[in-house]
Amino acid sequence: MIKINQTAWDAMVAHAEAKFPNECCGAMIGSIAGDVKDVTLAQPLENAYSGAQGARYELRPEDLLEADKKARAAGLDLIGIFHSHPDCDAYFSKTDLENSCPWYSFVVLSVKGGKFDHANSFLPNAEQTAAEKEELIWPKS
Amino acid sequence: MAKVLIPTPLRQFAEKHDSVDLTGATVAEVLASLTQKFPDLRKQLFNDEGKMRSFVNVYLNDDDIRYLQKDATPVAAGDTLSIVPSIAGGV
Repeated sequence: MIKINQTAWDAMVAHAEAKFPNECCGAMIGSIAGDVKDVTLAQPLENAYSGAQGARYELRPEDLLEADKKARAAGLDLIGIFHSHPDCDAYFSKTDLENSCPWYSFVVLSVKGGKFDHANSFLPNAEQTAAEKEELIWPKS
Repeated sequence: MAKVLIPTPLRQFAEKHDSVDLTGATVAEVLASLTQKFPDLRKQLFNDEGKMRSFVNVYLNDDDIRYLQKDATPVAAGDTLSIVPSIAGGV
């Protein structure tokens, strides 16, 4: 299960809505206790995809490395990655799967007409052939 | 000894360590030491053919080893190796 607190959630939604109609991306940072991942900080990162960003995103590994360093310095952990699907549901697409890694939770935010609509979290496998849906809890406003 | 930083989700395969000090003259040797010490990490980092998984990047300090000498990149005492995934996607 992945739980996202209000501060982190607000940052994720704000980033997703600000980047609409493009896809946004970022890192989720927090702590893990047993089977529960608590996200307490969301770090918006630049979408580095060089083409049209309405349907694609790419994270620079250097940016992820910096996010990991920031998490470690704060005594926290890099837990997952978030990105948005503009005017599209929050599913884990073929493109998402083929460019994923099995180590992190992947939260997808659906943004429709510039406003957040719904979200889901996924756990891809190492072969990048399937992603299991993960229970996601966010503060409902 | 070089320090290898273990990403959070991989610590379960590395006896919960967040970093580990290992010997090795090159990146390949340090990674071999890592997977010898923690065999369960091998499947996470390498495929069945023994090649590094496509989404795995290794940084020597702040530099991507792809732009150095790849896994033949020399490693000196005090260097830090980081394991960072490639991540992208889209609708």
